Amino acid sequence: MAKVLKKRPKPSIAYLFIAPWIIGFIAFTAFPLLYSLYLSFHKVSLTTEGIKTNYVSFENFQYAFTVDGVFMNYLIVFFRELLISVPIIIVFSLIIALLLNQKIRLRGLFRTIFFLPVIIASGPVLKELQDMGVTTIPSIEEVFIYSLASDNADQFIFGILLYVLDNIIMILWYSGVQILIFLAVLQKIDRQIYEAAMIDGASTWEIFWKVTLPSIFPMIVVNTIYTIVAYSIFSLNPIIEHIKVQMFELDTGFGYASALSWVYFVIIGLILILVFVIMNSQSKKRYAS
Amino acid sequence: MAKTSHFHGTKINPTKFHWSQMKFYLFLIPLAIFMALPIVYIFFHAFKPIDELFAFPPRFFVEKPTMQNFSDLFSASSETGVPMARYFFNSIITTVVVMLFTVLISTMAGYALSKKKFRSKKYIFEINTVALMFVPAAVGIPRYLLIENVGLIDSFFVHIFPLLAMPIGLFLVKQFIDQIPDELLEAARLDGANDYFIFMKIIVPLVKPAIATIAILSFQLVWNNIETSTLYVNDEGLKTFAFYMSTLASQVEGNTVAGQGMAAAASLIMFLPNLIIFIFLQRQVMNTMAHSGIK
Repeated sequence: MAKVLKKRPKPSIAYLFIAPWIIGFIAFTAFPLLYSLYLSFHKVSLTTEGIKTNYVSFENFQYAFTVDGVFMNYLIVFFRELLISVPIIIVFSLIIALLLNQKIRLRGLFRTIFFLPVIIASGPVLKELQDMGVTTIPSIEEVFIYSLASDNADQFIFGILLYVLDNIIMILWYSGVQILIFLAVLQKIDRQIYEAAMIDGASTWEIFWKVTLPSIFPMIVVNTIYTIVAYSIFSLNPIIEHIKVQMFELDTGFGYASALSWVYFVIIGLILILVFVIMNSQSKKRYAS
Repeated sequence: MAKTSHFHGTKINPTKFHWSQMKFYLFLIPLAIFMALPIVYIFFHAFKPIDELFAFPPRFFVEKPTMQNFSDLFSASSETGVPMARYFFNSIITTVVVMLFTVLISTMAGYALSKKKFRSKKYIFEINTVALMFVPAAVGIPRYLLIENVGLIDSFFVHIFPLLAMPIGLFLVKQFIDQIPDELLEAARLDGANDYFIFMKIIVPLVKPAIATIAILSFQLVWNNIETSTLYVNDEGLKTFAFYMSTLASQVEGNTVAGQGMAAAASLIMFLPNLIIFIFLQRQVMNTMAHSGIK
């Protein structure tokens, strides 16, 4: 044991612990972020002497909503995909986490495999896989298309199904960290609660809804937010690619790209706030003691 | 925290097999195969000869494995002025340093934010969460201006500094530290433990899964990072392995056929360290979850 230093640590120690992170954060994240806000109100041109900025007030934003149809189009597609993918990812990772929490053989191996996506789901490797078409299952897709196209005229549901099938591996691959978080919180639930519930005659189904789900609800919120964020800033997202392209277009330039990023950023922020408020009020309604 | 004899928490696999487990396998095995397929594909793809690389429909397994792609890759690499070992060395150093410091900085900040009381701590975490959502590409030019003004262009540190404060790392580790009961820290404090001791002996062992996750994430971030070498480094001798690999495949101008094979080989070489680090760290991720010490 270390010798007694202080009974009540002063807050200065807290600042000491957090200082390196704050410095790094301000320098390489917060400052560039604010600067890009500044740039979004400017026309930025790259010249040989450096970067020239020209104040244009809201012109960039106007352009984004009125002229740039591609951006709006991408946004709508993004909404739809988000709406479909996030619930699937959450439910899927919860199911996997529940299964991996069972007492089964080779549990370690399964956990490894399901966490594997985390190491590839970011960046270049995935891009290449996608190009090669490994992330879809061609045969399943064909079977489904034929059987659906013949007897189902509902284009909306059909579109959703097609999207899900098209991106099934991508969707599954988003869930590595979520599975991990769920697994961690599942293991935290006290065994005695389960035993008590079983003695009281609750079925496994009832235990899941009445014991497990309320206990992990905070982590469902965390996971939902994490998923939305991860999905939004994924580097292969078409909106992000669009922003990257705009950065080096001559007539729009970096100022416009900054404006687009801020629009996108605010929209994601609004989605998150909405999700958070809805989920929190739900949890209060349902799980208030 | 010594392990007592009746402590079975780290034993993942149960010793007995029972038929009631069958239903779980029914779900898990197909899904597991499904998830592992693309990784197997990366391996096979690198060893395919040219006619199999371009076969349509694409084949999953390699029929006549060849090392041709790798020898192409290495012969192309000897044509450039800077030896491959140099890039490799740059990558190793930056990766190790970034991983170590990211983990340390995020965990320390997470501890302070979660268990310490001080002004404006709520805002710091919220600002961090907000920063998570921002399009990474959009801060490229402001970041460039900053790096230029600080004088980091063409220095070794430019690979390291911008990656250290990882918002997602702080987010994850803070959530894990929140789960550690305050009573445990209270008890330690009563026993005379100071902050350093609490951090090293209680917080760090208990949030190992989160730490391992951050380590994996930050490894990926820095190991696969091409951006820094492209934007902030002009000196060929200071660029990284990832950048080198990405240029090699595209170097063979007008010869996309050979380029494809080399790209496949390069992506396997780039991917292997990811896998190794993962296998090395995943035991930590999976094993030590949730033994808070207080019932």
